[in-house]
Amino acid sequence: MKVEHFLEKNEVREITIFNQLVLNHGVLSYKDMLDHLAVSKASLDNDLESIAARMSDFDKQVYIQYDGQNIELIMGDHISLQHIYRLYLDQSIKIKIINYLFKHQKFSITQLTLKLAISESSLFRKIRDLNSHLKEFGIKIRNGQLHGEELQIRYFYFHFYSYIEDKTTLFTVHADSQMIQTMQSLENFLKVTILPENRERLSTWLFISKSRITIKNQKHKYLREKMKPYVKDPLYHKIQVMILRYFSRYSIEVDEGEAMLHFVFLLAFPILTEDDFHEYTLIRDRHAPVAALDMYIAETIINHFKFRKLPYMLEREIYYHLTHIHTQLYFFQGDIERFEYRYILAKEKQIVGDNLVAFAREIIGTSIKRFRIEAGDNNSLFKMGVFKYINLLLLLSFKMAKVLQIGIDLKMDELYKETLSELLILKMSPIQGIHIERYEPNKEYDLILTNDKTSDLSGYEGARVYVLSEVLSSFDLANIQRIIQELNT
Amino acid sequence: MKVVIIGASFAGIAAALEVRKHHTDANIVLLEKQATLAYIPNGLHLYWGNQIDDLNAARFITEEQLRQHTIEYYLGATVQNINTDQKIIAYDYLEQEELVAYDKLIIAAGSRQLSEKIDGSAQDSVLKYKRYGEAQAALSKVKESQHVTIIGGGQVGVEAADLLTKQQKKITLIESMDYVLFKYLDEDMIQPLEQKMIENGIDLRLGQTVSSIDMESNHNLTVRLGDDSVISDAVIMSVNVRPNLPFLDTRIKRHTDQTIAVDRYLRTSVEDVFAVGDCIQLSGPDEDMVYIPLINNAVRTGIVAAANLIEPVLEFKGSLRTIGTSIFGYYIASTGMTEAESLFTNHTIETHRQKVPLTSLPHSDTVILKWVYDATTHVLLGAQMISKANMLEKINTLALAIQTKQTLEDLQQTDYFFHPSYSQMMTTTNLVSWMGERVDKDES
Repeated sequence: MKVEHFLEKNEVREITIFNQLVLNHGVLSYKDMLDHLAVSKASLDNDLESIAARMSDFDKQVYIQYDGQNIELIMGDHISLQHIYRLYLDQSIKIKIINYLFKHQKFSITQLTLKLAISESSLFRKIRDLNSHLKEFGIKIRNGQLHGEELQIRYFYFHFYSYIEDKTTLFTVHADSQMIQTMQSLENFLKVTILPENRERLSTWLFISKSRITIKNQKHKYLREKMKPYVKDPLYHKIQVMILRYFSRYSIEVDEGEAMLHFVFLLAFPILTEDDFHEYTLIRDRHAPVAALDMYIAETIINHFKFRKLPYMLEREIYYHLTHIHTQLYFFQGDIERFEYRYILAKEKQIVGDNLVAFAREIIGTSIKRFRIEAGDNNSLFKMGVFKYINLLLLLSFKMAKVLQIGIDLKMDELYKETLSELLILKMSPIQGIHIERYEPNKEYDLILTNDKTSDLSGYEGARVYVLSEVLSSFDLANIQRIIQELNT
Repeated sequence: MKVVIIGASFAGIAAALEVRKHHTDANIVLLEKQATLAYIPNGLHLYWGNQIDDLNAARFITEEQLRQHTIEYYLGATVQNINTDQKIIAYDYLEQEELVAYDKLIIAAGSRQLSEKIDGSAQDSVLKYKRYGEAQAALSKVKESQHVTIIGGGQVGVEAADLLTKQQKKITLIESMDYVLFKYLDEDMIQPLEQKMIENGIDLRLGQTVSSIDMESNHNLTVRLGDDSVISDAVIMSVNVRPNLPFLDTRIKRHTDQTIAVDRYLRTSVEDVFAVGDCIQLSGPDEDMVYIPLINNAVRTGIVAAANLIEPVLEFKGSLRTIGTSIFGYYIASTGMTEAESLFTNHTIETHRQKVPLTSLPHSDTVILKWVYDATTHVLLGAQMISKANMLEKINTLALAIQTKQTLEDLQQTDYFFHPSYSQMMTTTNLVSWMGERVDKDES
């Protein structure tokens, strides 16, 4: 599912206009915009008018100027694209429908048409549209209620309230003393620490859980099936005891399904600290699906990069992230692709290079196969999975990259030599993970850059040597970058 | 003033009697859904324990006593709805719909034992016997059964297991937590009891949750737990109780757990409407709001609501969840916070568990006591006891100490009698390091 599925087509187009402008230094010709959107002139004119009307909310902080030739975006320093997305999302009827469902658990068509001031047919159309996207979560709106596995319903709401709906709608809850107490109890029971950055995530989840707790006939069939390898898991057992004891204090009946939901959530998202998680990895069953895949993928990655062994703390960190990715893949269906991620994804190849992207796709293929899950082409969970793997691989290559020592040994007149060496150093300074200087004999280097085609290259004591064709040429620079990448792996 | 009370169990009756005490001229009307009056919940246990000859004797008040207090009562009256705007209650009585207006309303509709998670638990063949009619049916069913499965290892479930074992029944007891009576005792206190239960042949299924109960063609019942199942002649539901309030006006606010929200004076969100007993949450051992459906709370809340009818004068002091019972040859009592429950609070606690003789005589009976107290202030927060001698009354001393926020040091200064036949050098309800034998290794 994508964020724009909560918006109407023209709204998505308007947001695209903003995106295009941001990506093109704030200005784009009218013609280029037409080409990009593939719409008629009348349509684009309408969109620009509609944008102008909507942006009046920002009191001249944001506006789009069209001088008959170019379209230009003017935006105040304190406004970002996120604010603009927010403005569109706040007006979305589909978001209001989900909000209403969450707050009231159930609606009648009459109630909702009155509340949203829309016609019955329009409401039906929006529900039908929402259902077509909720399908990947395995849930649907039927007879005024959300139907499906409880895990999937809470997981969807978690995404919804974390990334779609304005967080401030839940802010009163975060300050709720009962919520603070609940979080404290969780820390006490599990003997873990919940860091401030993880608290918000956890309180969103707990709030959703609290509002769902009294729903009758919750479905846990799929969850129970998936939990079979975890019934003896020590963390699950602690959570089960905590949940049973907690709810025994209220007039609320729960079964182990409730404990299972919380167990999955705690492992699928960064809630525990890396230290607490590490303690858990020491006692968890290594043959259970997630742990087994963690190990398999970690080894695959280590082999791919030809690392001999990861430093201890880095290995812990990698397992921490892998467990989140794999727990999500193993237990959940569906995901929401956010705008900001997609623009990075679109640029992924430029940023990280083809090899890494291809490798990340290969790993997700392995994971899907090992978990025996059906992989649809348009599955957002898998797309986000690839994105997460890419980030993990990047993290790993940044942390594993040693600082390469590069020496520049130009053979020419002293004056040129000094100037050109400095220029070369300047040109190469944006490259991460290198230290570059003028060559000094008796120092160790990983790479020597020289223009001397005749002298004996064996004098560099095993360092790799690259002979520059033309100092400062883009051809040479591309070759040097390739060599650096090779030396790093 | 017309005071209508919905429910004539402990809370409702206590409220009615107290209203009469405060308002001699009030018109008091009790509406009770059951056909009989003032049956002691789980009075069947008294019958099984041979403490009464007839189930009908399990009554805590008679119709005659109510009449003496000029309290009007209607048995078999089922409330259909409450209109708090017009202050009118509609109820079915003798197959007619009746209306009654009120000036003040007290909701004391109690609770029922029903599971929404266990498929098949609502069928009649699955026994619940909190109420008189249900108890009669359960009595005959259990009589003809050899193997009885009890779902829920709380006080009711364990008592039933004990009483039915004495009748030579084969008992399977299923509890979803790791040990029985977990609300009242810590796991380290329960060992002697569980050991005794196993010696008595109880098939104890701990840490297991029932998913469904199916009636077989031979009228046996199959209780399913995960991949396992138990087949028996009868099944007793002794799970947690919950209020059942389908008649409530939506103006009366409720908590997430569907209990009625009340303030310290037991007033609901609607003026002139009060709620008591098993319908509400109470401030618990740590003064946080919890659900503690115990008879002593029902009676006390009934009294408090009655005192506040005209204006708020008496705050409800909360509940320490004090219990006492006798099971499998042990007397067991608890009050206040347990060590396990302390994890839900902000208290840093210490605990101390010791075995002390009850008298100064040789071969005196002993009691194992567990103290839970604030690590810094030494204010007593909770106490648990288990003994083969009847020391139940002592828990009330400790409950009073907790309620009045006594420290361990205060308790040592309390003036108690000494008699070698009945007490020892320091009275039992003292934590004295040099008395008795410490049974826990280190303080947590």
